[in-house]
Amino acid sequence: MKYKTFAAFVGPSIFLMLLFIAAPLISVFFQSFYITQPVFETVEVETCTPGFPTQTCVTEQKTQPIIGEDGKVVTTVKYVGLESYRNVLEPDRAWAALSAFDFRALLTIDFWKALRFTLTFTLVTLPLVIGAGLLIAVVVNNASRLIRGPIIFVSLLPFIITPVIGALSIRWLFIGDGIMTAFLEWAFSQNISMFAQGWTIELLMMFYRVWHVAPFAFVVFYAGLQTVNQDTLESAIIDGASRWERLRYVIIPHLMPLIVFISLIHLMDSYRVFEEIVGFSSQAHRISLQWLTYDFLTPDDSGNRSISRASASAMLTMIGIVVLLVPLLRKTWRDHKGGRV
Amino acid sequence: MAEIQLKNVSKRWGSFVGVDNFDMTIADREFLVLLGPSGCGKTTTMRMIAGLEEATDGDIVIGGRVVNDLDPKDRDIAMVFQSYGLYPNMNVYENIRFPLKVRKVDPATHDERVMRAADMVELREFLHRKPAELSGGQRQRVALARAIVREPNVFLMDEPLSNLDAKLRVSTRAQIKNLQHELKVTTIYVTHDQIEAMTLADRVVVMKRGVIQQVGTPTEIYDRPANTFVAGFIGSPAMNLMEGTLSGGTFSGDHVSISGLSGPDGPVTLGFRAEDAAVAETGPQAEITAPVYTMELLGDATMITVKAGGALVSVKASKDYRIEIDEPVGLNIPAEICHLFNQKTGARIDV
Repeated sequence: MKYKTFAAFVGPSIFLMLLFIAAPLISVFFQSFYITQPVFETVEVETCTPGFPTQTCVTEQKTQPIIGEDGKVVTTVKYVGLESYRNVLEPDRAWAALSAFDFRALLTIDFWKALRFTLTFTLVTLPLVIGAGLLIAVVVNNASRLIRGPIIFVSLLPFIITPVIGALSIRWLFIGDGIMTAFLEWAFSQNISMFAQGWTIELLMMFYRVWHVAPFAFVVFYAGLQTVNQDTLESAIIDGASRWERLRYVIIPHLMPLIVFISLIHLMDSYRVFEEIVGFSSQAHRISLQWLTYDFLTPDDSGNRSISRASASAMLTMIGIVVLLVPLLRKTWRDHKGGRV
Repeated sequence: MAEIQLKNVSKRWGSFVGVDNFDMTIADREFLVLLGPSGCGKTTTMRMIAGLEEATDGDIVIGGRVVNDLDPKDRDIAMVFQSYGLYPNMNVYENIRFPLKVRKVDPATHDERVMRAADMVELREFLHRKPAELSGGQRQRVALARAIVREPNVFLMDEPLSNLDAKLRVSTRAQIKNLQHELKVTTIYVTHDQIEAMTLADRVVVMKRGVIQQVGTPTEIYDRPANTFVAGFIGSPAMNLMEGTLSGGTFSGDHVSISGLSGPDGPVTLGFRAEDAAVAETGPQAEITAPVYTMELLGDATMITVKAGGALVSVKASKDYRIEIDEPVGLNIPAEICHLFNQKTGARIDV
């Protein structure tokens, strides 16, 4: 293709990516090193109340924001280096807790609490999503043509449902005496409250995520299964491979690039877990890194947003994703180079 | 040691008949070739023997054991596929070892057996390559090694040479023939290439639309085709088949008159092979006299084609024979090289 044609096709999307992805990223990166604060002044205020025989006057020092000409609070922007990161990570407390092997103490710090949950959530759901997706794909592929369509339709439903709605409906199934809780109580004849403690909520959140994402993995794997070389599969049958061995030695190696693809997507998505926190209202028990950023951005009682801490938290989240992706990307790169020998 | 018996084996999909009443016994150590055009049921027959396809009717017996309800892996067979069927993620060594591995053969013997199989097909130097780094011929040799490593009782080969280029085909063909001789294993080989069938087979089965047309040694099939289908399928070029009538021992048709034949009077199909006939002077002593339709140089011979008896008829002449198109030519067709077939059923008329 001519360079000009190529540029005409790719140009607009590169421009939009720069505008909407790269520019905010760089902006966030810089904002995490600065803090914006209102400028305060200390004034002496004399407050007098009527009294007898004279008024009672109290003179006190009061700190108040300076109001500018336009009637708005005057602010300054100050370079603080890694101060915001320190505020988020709280390294001293974290280190003290770590050296005392006191994980409970470590988890009282918001960031570490969020990181613990986010990592557990990501790493537990990943194999479940891939396993469930593969299982459905293999089952559908072996199902007779007649019921294949309905099965595909039903298994795709969770994927179509809006994330928050899906999370909410699961919450309603289990909260209070929702029908699932009622059923469980009936089945185990004991009192169950799924939303009274953190770990049950965490389980429900993971369950919801797997339920929601597995159909996507299924569709991709199902497409991949259509391209498995039938001769190779039949060779394996004749060579004496059982169903499981065929899956392990023929089908999974064939699907490996797709498994890596799903893993990449899932790692990126679930590390940014957010809808579940909102949908399950789990803030009191479980928070994620993305939710932490959101929490920093929410104005406090005096209307201030902690933009710098939010930026620092966002940058840390991004670094986390990159660290998680590196092994997979390295594997893909090696296979790519290996294939060219 | 395995004799294979197919007892009235049929395969039907709904009303479509894939293989109809296939009934024959394949002797131990025999090299049997199933030959026919695509869709004739030869591959289906082999897949039923392998267990990849279930027989609708009939019994398949391998080594005295009815195998109809056995899984492919319990039938003690090995199979080679047209597109190799190798495991792309494993290297050559692991590919050859795979049957041993999944069948839980004593791991101590693996290395020796893989090496022996690799040596037989001359693959020792490629053991660490992946299939993608091999040529087509080498890949098919890996498939062969994988088939022989387990020393099964039966080899099944499904057009193993069809994906190779002409030159490789010849050398791999020789290798297969030699391997079968060495290993003395009953082999069933499916092909649509009659030259492969002729060169490899102890016996050939010619099939058409699921029905056996003729079973015999390559010589029998070449010399005494059972019907016009076999006659037209075997040989290169295929047998010339002319339409005409026989009366009083003389066959006459368009541009052709051959006497000295014996057979019932009436309409018949007469066949002869291009290499048996010769070019002659035009005139009454030539059985066919017609203008030349085309002349082709084959290198070792010159092929002259004329229109006679309602068909194109080819004759091989010596390699330095030259003639122009439309020039009249006489062809010498002695009665003893002629085969007569029933014009309606196509069946051979034996005298």
